[in-house]
Amino acid sequence: MKTPSIIGQSIPRLDGPAKVTGRALYTNDLSLPGMLYGKLLRSPLAHAKITRIDVSRAKALPGVKDVITGADIPQVKYGNWRLVPQSQDEMALAVDKVRFVGDEVAAVCAIDADTAQRALELIEVEYEELPVILSVEEATAEGAALVHDESEGNVSLVRKIDYGDLEAMFAKADYIREDTFKVHPVQHAYMEPCSCLAASEEGDRVSLWTSTQTPYIVQCLLASTLGLPENNVRVMKVQVGGGFGGKMELRPWEFCASFMSLRTGRPVKFTLTRADELAFGRRRHAMSIYSKVGFSKDGKLLAKDFQVMLDGGAYNAMGPTATFLCGTFGNMLYNYPAYRYFGRHVYTNKPPASAMRGFGAPQAAFAAETQMNMVAEELGIDPIDLRLMNAMQTGDVIPDVATISSCGFKESLEKVRQISGWDEKRGNPKPGKGLGIGCFSFISGGVFNWFNTKYNFSAAEVKVFEDGTAQLATMACDIGQGPDTVLRQILAAELGIPIDKIRLISMDTATTPKADLGTWGSRVTLMNGNAIIEAAGKIKDMLRPVLFSELDLNQIHDVAFEDERVFVRANPKKGMGFAECVYKALRGREGEPLTARGYYTPRNKGLVSPAFSFGAQVAEVEVDTGTGLIRVEKMYTAHDCGVPINKMSVEGQLEGAIQMGLGYALMENLIMDDKGRTLNTTFLDYKMPTAEDMPPGESADVITYEPEGPYGAKEAGEGLAIPTAPAITHAVHQATGYRCMETPITPEKVLRALGKIK
Amino acid sequence: MALPNFQVHQPKTVEEVLDLLGRHRSSVKLLCGGTDLLIKMRSGAQAPEHLVSLNRVAGLKTISYAAGDGLVIGGAARISQVGKNPDVQRLYPGLAHACSVMATVQIRNMGTVAGNLVNAAPSADTAAPLLAYGASLVAVERGGRRQIKLTDFFTGPGLTVLEPGEMVEAIRVPDPPPRTGSCYLRLSARSKVDIAAVGVAGFINLDLSGKVIRCRLALGSVAPTPVRCPEAEAMLEGQDPGPELIARAAAACVRTSRPIDDLRATASYRRAMVQELAQRVLTQSLAMARGGGS
Amino acid sequence: MAKQNIELIVNGDRYQLTVEPSRMLVDVLREDLGLTGTKIGCAQGDCGACTVLMDGVSVSSCLTLAVEAHQRDITTIEGLAASPQDLHPLQEAFVQHGAVQCGYCSPGMILSAKHLLDHNPKPSEEEIRQGLSGNLCRCTGYNKIVEAIGDAAEKMAASGKEG
Repeated sequence: MKTPSIIGQSIPRLDGPAKVTGRALYTNDLSLPGMLYGKLLRSPLAHAKITRIDVSRAKALPGVKDVITGADIPQVKYGNWRLVPQSQDEMALAVDKVRFVGDEVAAVCAIDADTAQRALELIEVEYEELPVILSVEEATAEGAALVHDESEGNVSLVRKIDYGDLEAMFAKADYIREDTFKVHPVQHAYMEPCSCLAASEEGDRVSLWTSTQTPYIVQCLLASTLGLPENNVRVMKVQVGGGFGGKMELRPWEFCASFMSLRTGRPVKFTLTRADELAFGRRRHAMSIYSKVGFSKDGKLLAKDFQVMLDGGAYNAMGPTATFLCGTFGNMLYNYPAYRYFGRHVYTNKPPASAMRGFGAPQAAFAAETQMNMVAEELGIDPIDLRLMNAMQTGDVIPDVATISSCGFKESLEKVRQISGWDEKRGNPKPGKGLGIGCFSFISGGVFNWFNTKYNFSAAEVKVFEDGTAQLATMACDIGQGPDTVLRQILAAELGIPIDKIRLISMDTATTPKADLGTWGSRVTLMNGNAIIEAAGKIKDMLRPVLFSELDLNQIHDVAFEDERVFVRANPKKGMGFAECVYKALRGREGEPLTARGYYTPRNKGLVSPAFSFGAQVAEVEVDTGTGLIRVEKMYTAHDCGVPINKMSVEGQLEGAIQMGLGYALMENLIMDDKGRTLNTTFLDYKMPTAEDMPPGESADVITYEPEGPYGAKEAGEGLAIPTAPAITHAVHQATGYRCMETPITPEKVLRALGKIK
Repeated sequence: MALPNFQVHQPKTVEEVLDLLGRHRSSVKLLCGGTDLLIKMRSGAQAPEHLVSLNRVAGLKTISYAAGDGLVIGGAARISQVGKNPDVQRLYPGLAHACSVMATVQIRNMGTVAGNLVNAAPSADTAAPLLAYGASLVAVERGGRRQIKLTDFFTGPGLTVLEPGEMVEAIRVPDPPPRTGSCYLRLSARSKVDIAAVGVAGFINLDLSGKVIRCRLALGSVAPTPVRCPEAEAMLEGQDPGPELIARAAAACVRTSRPIDDLRATASYRRAMVQELAQRVLTQSLAMARGGGS
Repeated sequence: MAKQNIELIVNGDRYQLTVEPSRMLVDVLREDLGLTGTKIGCAQGDCGACTVLMDGVSVSSCLTLAVEAHQRDITTIEGLAASPQDLHPLQEAFVQHGAVQCGYCSPGMILSAKHLLDHNPKPSEEEIRQGLSGNLCRCTGYNKIVEAIGDAAEKMAASGKEG
């Protein structure tokens, strides 16, 4: 069957006009009559016992409507890993003890923000300081203080992967190297700070609008922490100003707004500041990585031993998933006869790290790809050739993890070699200039049901009407990446109607079909796309009989849905308009609308993901060897995201990912003092790349057809955030001889390596 | 988070400004761009009860240049105005550069050069070039008017010799003689929205034989205040500098600097960059001066 | 302290307001006038999400006191399109080029672009990048924004349309 023409088109986002005119609403743009303003009191200490809290003066302040502390709320811990209840380690407000600077201690709501702020200042808290642990090395040292009493040695979770005979393979290896790497924390830095607005309803029900990428998860965890049935909590989102993994958990302000709204009977809104976000917000894990690899002398990979400690901060957050995926992406790109991963998620007294675009993979790939480049150099093999020799291919099996059902990695390597001018440029090196490579693989949604949902991972409800329009209801979550458009493209392709005839009802846990796990793990296009295709198929099953009976068709005929018509594929003239067909189908249904639901949950797809993307990226840099400043001149990317549904969206993901990867490699860092206080809490000092820092790019799509994906599509969102940092690292090494083993690359480190600073 | 409360006065003349400054002497600040002041007020670092706005005062935004007299920048002239002024671009390229790369477009549209100086951040981007151009400030108060050399102006981070009740009415910059070269170079990890980690400005005037008559070098972000480099200047004056002397003069600049470790860079990186940038600034300025550039 | 009476001229409409002197223009626009298209990304003048034009010049409304905007001519993102069907060429170009993803930076980004084109109708790519350096975006990587502005500039020049 030919692919409908709308698949692959660069359809501009349907919410674009609202966003460019200022009409698009974000959570902080909402207000309700009688709304109260909430504020959080946070711990100034990284690790301390709370010995006394007195809120009486705050409560007495005129205009203050509620003040709560950890003692006032149901003593129910929460965390995204419901499958492992002991991993749920967080409370909205600290009870007895604070574990990082910024840990929430109390919340107030008042008639205006200034009054709420003054009330915070009237809350008296006394602390007894405890030893502060700020690195995984300190945390795992003998006799270290415990961040959580239950976690021995401060290790909250261990993940092991072990296949092949590691010792035997290392024994066989001609060449072995061991390296250690350290990667630093960075932040999502979504432009919209977190905000939520809760409004109590009749009975003990509550509605919450929140800037989230996982409304269903927020709904469930909010219900359990409030002690209410899930059905009493309704979570909605309006536009979300970016997430990148930083908005995928229940957060204290969401709980506090809901809890206080139920107590006061008034709507309560919380909005964070940028300083809150930078100082206390979620972040990408810092990691300490040990990697040992063995190769044959002709460049065949034999074995890898990969040991990682993730700096999880004070709570698990999405750290367990990052610990799993770091191990998966330590070996995803290449065929290893033997691989061992030992990952430990470690508590420290820092703001919790969590999911961030790539989810453990950027760190794993920084180490793995950098080491691959080191091996290539040592063995005297071109880095692309070395990768080609070992590259994963379609049909390859990763024991106990996955079977690769589509893989364009080798093609990506060849393409990027070509478009970057790799061979010529490496043949004629110029002083201060360098070319480097980094590669990636990523998941298209997760298989592992850590949230322990009883519902399908994705769901869609499709309705069609006799005026030829349709409605799609889904809990899938557009946080800027574009599924509100892409999913309608898929439905338009299925039903053969124009995209602007599809109304979207999205993201209201009370009215859209259960469930959707949210936007993370690059899962939405594949999983929700499949749910839509199933629902559309059921609708088509309802419409097809109309054509057969009206036209007296032989049962062997195939019916097509294209160009707003339903017709006999072999004889397109025989058919009728889509609207007419819906009208006629309705006639026989005793008033029942044409509605169908579709679902998707990956089954029998291994442990990790139903599909994997692949790609390779080359960075071209120029280094000023007098100042150490690095200018990324151009990025070349070749990637396999299956069949792109919306080319412009895929390009947008690629370019945005390069911005993040470039910031990760060269500029962004969260800097902390020895008391665990973050020092750079403004965008002046948390430096993410501006328009002037962004290099031009050139890219090539390597089209594979992913059998598990809708129209052959797979992920294009996160994988691309992985290769940029290792590619830049390699390019800087080629330009200067400085090899970064501890990110970020700074001008100073370059000059030290060049011997220009002692 | 809202600011603590205060009163805003919006006078129309300099006289009214001075009256208001006098009347509220104990707790008053001048407001123009507000890009530094309001941030400090929000953090609680400053809490004046009165703000006197210069934004409606007539005549303070003027930028004028006259051959022989030099450049006069009004106390409320915006950074972006100064950066785009053709005379500034032609004759004071170091200042024009500072005014077109510092902070952001919006901040440059709001903030003033005088404010940048009065705020007295060690990293103030306009300070180093203005020091190199030999600028002075015209300060007025109710009793009169005085001229303050910029070299005497800064006394510490956030501190200047300005008295309460005084305001900067204008910045005066001498006319560069023929055979002058000048420039300003700054370094930061990111292109924009940044505070310079190191800034070096230079000004060189040659005689007909190519010897240096006058040299001024100034550094930003590497000492408690923006500073001149008298030792390096003295080494160059009377000489026809080659690469070796330039390197030694740059080393003298390093000796003048007193950098610290902070978020943006370490002291040792800053020292190395003073050396590197001073060499570049001197080389570039000399080339301009030798090229006959005015 | 006493509240002050001010008149704001926003997108051509005149509003008489009584405000505390400490209130920022961005808060008055959003809370008192309901013009929520102006966004708050950092409240420190670093990110550009709150950019508005004041007397035709781009400023950070998070660092502008509302009283200082008295009788100044303010353009916010809501004032750029004549109607939802008749977008400003910059708005149209942002949509068509995929220069919008989450959209949170878009209002400020578009007003910075307008400031740029008003003063420099035919900017080079480098000038466009410089003109945007006070507006942070985390989704797009900027390149599609730069393309969109270049395209809008060409279209505006061709049609002789004023920004």
